[in-house]
Amino acid sequence: MAAYLEQLVNGLVLGSIIGLIALGYTMVYGVIQLINFAHGEVFMVGAYASLACYLWILPPDLAGTWYIALPAMILFGSLVAALLAIAMERFAYRPLRGAPRLAPLITALGVSVFLQEVVRLFFPDAKQAKPYPTPFIEGGITVHLGDGQFTIAYIRILLVVVAIGLAALLQLYISRSRMGRAMRAIANDPDTARLMGINPDRIIVWTFVIGAVLAGVAGVFYGGYQNTINTDMGFQNGIFAFTAAVLGGIGSIRGAVVGAMIIGVVKTIAGQLPFLGGTQYDYVWIFVVLIFMLVFRPQGFFGETERVRA
Amino acid sequence: MNRLWTVLSGLGFAVAAMMPWVTFALNDGNYPAKSTLQFFDAPFLLTGFRLHLLVIGLLVVLFTFLPLPGRPRILRAAGWAGGLISLVNGAYITFKGGGLGAITAADGKVAFAAFVGVAAGALLIWSGAKAAPGIEFSWPERPSRWLAYLALLVSFAGLLLFVAAILTSGGGITNPYSAGQFMSFLAMAAGLIAALGATGVLRWIGELSEQHRYFSLLVMLGCALGLPFTSAGNEYWMTVAVNIGVYAATAIGLNIVVGLAGLLDLGYVAFMGIGAFVAANLSGAAAAAFDIHLPFIFAAIAAALVAGVFGAIVGSPTLRVRGDYLAIVTMAFGEIFVRSSQNNIGGLTGGSNAIPGIPPLELFGTGFQESISIGGYKLAGGVLYYVLIVLLVALVMGVFANLKDSRIGRAWIAIREDEDAARAMGIQTGRAKILAFLIGATLAGLAGAVFAHKTSSVSYESFRFTESVTLLAAVILGGMGTIPGAVLGASLLFVLPETLREFQDYRLMLFGLALVLIMRFRPQGLVADRHRRAELTTVDDPVEVAAR
Amino acid sequence: MSELLEVRGLSVAYGAIEAVRDVSFTVHAGQIVSLIGSNGAGKTTILRTISGLLRPKAGEILFQGTPIHALPAHTVLGMGIAQCPEGRRLFARMTVEENLQLGAYVRRDDGIQADIDKVYDLFPVLGERRHNKAGLFSGGEQQMLAIGRALMCKPRLLMLDEPSMGLSPIMTQRIFDTVAELRDLGTTVLLVEQNALAALALSDQAYVIDLGRTTLHGTGHELLADSRVRAAYLGEEVA
Repeated sequence: MAAYLEQLVNGLVLGSIIGLIALGYTMVYGVIQLINFAHGEVFMVGAYASLACYLWILPPDLAGTWYIALPAMILFGSLVAALLAIAMERFAYRPLRGAPRLAPLITALGVSVFLQEVVRLFFPDAKQAKPYPTPFIEGGITVHLGDGQFTIAYIRILLVVVAIGLAALLQLYISRSRMGRAMRAIANDPDTARLMGINPDRIIVWTFVIGAVLAGVAGVFYGGYQNTINTDMGFQNGIFAFTAAVLGGIGSIRGAVVGAMIIGVVKTIAGQLPFLGGTQYDYVWIFVVLIFMLVFRPQGFFGETERVRA
Repeated sequence: MNRLWTVLSGLGFAVAAMMPWVTFALNDGNYPAKSTLQFFDAPFLLTGFRLHLLVIGLLVVLFTFLPLPGRPRILRAAGWAGGLISLVNGAYITFKGGGLGAITAADGKVAFAAFVGVAAGALLIWSGAKAAPGIEFSWPERPSRWLAYLALLVSFAGLLLFVAAILTSGGGITNPYSAGQFMSFLAMAAGLIAALGATGVLRWIGELSEQHRYFSLLVMLGCALGLPFTSAGNEYWMTVAVNIGVYAATAIGLNIVVGLAGLLDLGYVAFMGIGAFVAANLSGAAAAAFDIHLPFIFAAIAAALVAGVFGAIVGSPTLRVRGDYLAIVTMAFGEIFVRSSQNNIGGLTGGSNAIPGIPPLELFGTGFQESISIGGYKLAGGVLYYVLIVLLVALVMGVFANLKDSRIGRAWIAIREDEDAARAMGIQTGRAKILAFLIGATLAGLAGAVFAHKTSSVSYESFRFTESVTLLAAVILGGMGTIPGAVLGASLLFVLPETLREFQDYRLMLFGLALVLIMRFRPQGLVADRHRRAELTTVDDPVEVAAR
Repeated sequence: MSELLEVRGLSVAYGAIEAVRDVSFTVHAGQIVSLIGSNGAGKTTILRTISGLLRPKAGEILFQGTPIHALPAHTVLGMGIAQCPEGRRLFARMTVEENLQLGAYVRRDDGIQADIDKVYDLFPVLGERRHNKAGLFSGGEQQMLAIGRALMCKPRLLMLDEPSMGLSPIMTQRIFDTVAELRDLGTTVLLVEQNALAALALSDQAYVIDLGRTTLHGTGHELLADSRVRAAYLGEEVA
């Protein structure tokens, strides 16, 4: 029993990472109907940038102090992720706005492969997995259940809190702020939004930036609790996040978070069940969920309501 | 006035090529120190890229006064070719041949004034565009049958020699400068093609080959079978050519799905994988799941059938899912295939051990990998595989060409352009889309079966997402919906890594970049389909401010 | 009387098709100026070009003497030109209040809420249902909201594209009365209409656009009396 509960908790932790990434997918798709395939790569780059910050920017005597290291790494990782997203939007996607839909999708694919390779080739020793520090209080809470027990690391608890908190903030931002209204207006009718004096370029870049910052945060936490990062992480988790966004109803903030939690739990629990093939097949089940969702309920669980596109 | 500039740039190319001799003459042998006559045993005997550059330079001077049709574009093409040749070789001489000084004169014999060549290229690109257009000339629209046949024969034979020359231009993998020589040759080739395109002869040949389709297919087949008799007819290039052929056949299959029906499939290589695993398991290999050894023809049919069935299954969501969602569904299927075969599902795929030891094909007791001799002419090993793959590609091309102009082909194109309208016109879109997947997968399965025997070992690693992306890149680079496009794309994407080994690590990175750049600057690909419009290029509407 | 907007020799093309050819007209401050003409005459294209959504092939657009034809749409709006587009184009999935807030997107002052209340005074039905989704409203109510939204940026020039489209005669009258009221309150109006009779009755100046060209020009009443106009747009036999 404890093993299942542990996997459930692990699922929620993974779900929080996926959720932070999924928010970026859902925002961009909601505003310009683009599956930003390269968004997973933004997450990956954020993680590597934060590692670079830890290794080469932070003075060694400060790097061990978590309340300095963690904010610094998050800040730097998110900054690099945001700059990357701005460049991506400006040079790859913006020229294709108004082009038929396959074109930006193929471009996104190209950007994704390109970024993955650039990091793999040019980040020192990135061809193997890189060890990543835990920039937080070591240890965790131990849960006793029946005759079993397991430990939840503090950083995992912090991650879940941060992820849900950021999602709630984002929801508030989209529904209340002037920028959020402008985003929804562009999602609703880009031409008329321009007649309101909204500069779509600025809003769209901002949408990318918000998504990238969240992905950067996710990157730090992912490294922090996995203790290792590799250049594949963006692609894999990006797919999970996209699946989560679809599951929750793409365009919906709340849906992305809920979808991500479901994906996280499906993956960890499926890995625990031998008749589903165990951990070797846990990915497969996520793809199965994705296919079924796209085929039978492409609007997701949260349907038409509560979307960026509302 | 403008003529002066073009002549100057032509002479610039010549000077760049002849620099050792020029420095010798100008400096009376004092500079550089090695510029003495015995270092230039034959100052006018230029070979390789310097010869190309000299010829380009002289032709530029000639064309300045020769009113050829499309002259500005020809001159510009020459400018790009000469400039790029100079750039590539200059870079190589600088970085590999001994520093910046080597640009003008290093060890005498390969001395080369790269900067003069680059400057001349830039000058020519700039001034060539303003050259007076040549005479108007239109190629005969419907020439007599024999003239057309002759033109096709000559051009395809030329193409064959051209391809062989490109392949062997690197001088083999042992040559440390092979990548540089290859790129330099490629620049020359691209310039030549662009110049020919400017005269309109390429389009004319293209139209002729459409008019006489069967004849040109026959000639193409003949030329392809002639490759083993050219300079590229050694075992190394036969192997490369077979690999290209496998991927070209697969790419044409993908082109049916993506190019004709407009359904983006991101997991396509899985069908090739399924075909390969089926063939491997029926080949009698020790690691196969079944202890049977079917003749190749039956194994290939089985591979095609199984892949086709899977194609129909993967395609069935198209009934409900469209556009980018469909792309994601196909990618998910592809990933499921990779994960499953990685885990040796049902003992069918060997997992990370792969299925090794697949026997090579045999015909009348001769292994396909052995070298054979025809009429005393000894052909390199692997020629039989090459012949097999040429026939396979020809078959796939035939299927594609026939489908494209058939009822179902028109239905696919209608779906690609506007699915709702197609449905409204009474096309059974669901059936047509599944059929596209089915046929595409069948062809990929067939290619996979050959692949299994040729490589003798089948592993899931050959069928991962990056492979699908590469195939997609091949189709897009070449031009969606066209046969030459798919073949050209596959050739480029699988030849380039062979010849540019020092850049092999950067292969995927460059593919990614290429996808982005193609979508940005030439979404129709290198060989544009004349009928293709809606899917990737916008309607011609320049006034609508692009900020949607 | 000062010239607020001047269009000189404007041509606009969609690819090879010229939708507007050499059109010139002037809008003086404080007036209602109409462009009338049949469907496909190029009227909407003219408005979209003024707003910066399309780029002209030739010609100039001057607003208070400043050329604006090369400016992006959001800058044009910032200069005080609001457009109420054809078919209303509300943000259907957003509430009335949010639509009005978006109308004031470029404003940074504190008076936005007060102006929203003014719109509610002008169209009480909007105030009553301010938290409802705009897509749920009737055609006339949507038109009111569209006008209210355009007014929210305090425009010096209000451009209305086919405000009567799809409305009942009573509702059309209601909208046109409002337009007259707005003019009297000091807003300059450029009106595009197919409903020539109602538009001309209201207009200080009017231009007839036919196949992308200006063919006639006069005061509203002059054109109402013009036999060619009556024949072409009011369905009367030529006397």
